[in-house]
Amino acid sequence: MLNDDELLRYSRHLLLDDVGEAGQQALKNAKVLIIGMGGLGSPASLYLAAAGIGHLVLSDFDKIEVSNLQRQITYQSDDIGEAKVEVTKRKLQQINPEIKVRSINKKMPEQQLTMELTMADLVLDCTDNMASRQMINKACVNAKVPLIVGAAIRLEGQLMFFDHSQADSSCYHCLFPNSEEQTLNCSNSGIIGPVVGTIGTLQALEAIKYFVGLPSGIKNKLKLFDGKTLDWQTFTINKDPQCSVCRKH
Amino acid sequence: MKIQVNEQPLALAENMTVEQLLVHLDKPLIGSAVAVNQEIISRSNWAEHIINEGDNISLFQAIAGG
Repeated sequence: MLNDDELLRYSRHLLLDDVGEAGQQALKNAKVLIIGMGGLGSPASLYLAAAGIGHLVLSDFDKIEVSNLQRQITYQSDDIGEAKVEVTKRKLQQINPEIKVRSINKKMPEQQLTMELTMADLVLDCTDNMASRQMINKACVNAKVPLIVGAAIRLEGQLMFFDHSQADSSCYHCLFPNSEEQTLNCSNSGIIGPVVGTIGTLQALEAIKYFVGLPSGIKNKLKLFDGKTLDWQTFTINKDPQCSVCRKH
Repeated sequence: MKIQVNEQPLALAENMTVEQLLVHLDKPLIGSAVAVNQEIISRSNWAEHIINEGDNISLFQAIAGG
């Protein structure tokens, strides 16, 4: 049951047939693990906290640097030097004291990630490197936890949703089987804030839709965003029968 | 035969595979993704998948930033 404060706080959700009180209760019951508190994790965590996701777990091991502030909108200049997860946790609790937020201020080894997944209904991959992305994908496949992946550099974004609770789901490794760090990242390629913010925002939207029971149009799909033209391309990702990560599932 | 690669027209020999196309275009094999007519061709299938007349090919790189 939602209390009076919650009925007021979430009144714009409750007006929607697609959310309503049942949907809001589902959001309140939801447990989401967000890995990476940078340009994707900032808007994703702010929106999910504001929306009333009842249990948020935030993971990152970075401290806030001045070069983050151009796009990582949770942080301000006097946060520099502080741990990202601690500042984010504080701000999310200020936005919404009704929810529970837990922080993990370290780079999680695989075993800890696996343990965290036993308590998560959904994971947002908001990381900035290929090794983490491959590890998160593998752990989510094994734990059968749905995974929403965002990535961005320059003026380009990528968004994917793999529902690993479904046996026929493809996975991130079906799309990108190489874990070598030859990929592009924000430090070596640059990024415009609203581009990464768009992708992080859509990760939050897909998460909300998932919990209120709205179908996702992007399961087993890759959406490519072009920030120059604002065009989107959509590609189907079929399960690779030879994928070393998901073929046995 | 004629195909489209990232919305640009390209003339190509018959019976070329996805892998041969990437080599032909001097694209990196690591970190690349290929879609033929909006469907991702998995890496394990690049050496077998034959490109057909009129195919719409999309080539792009994995990005890890966030």
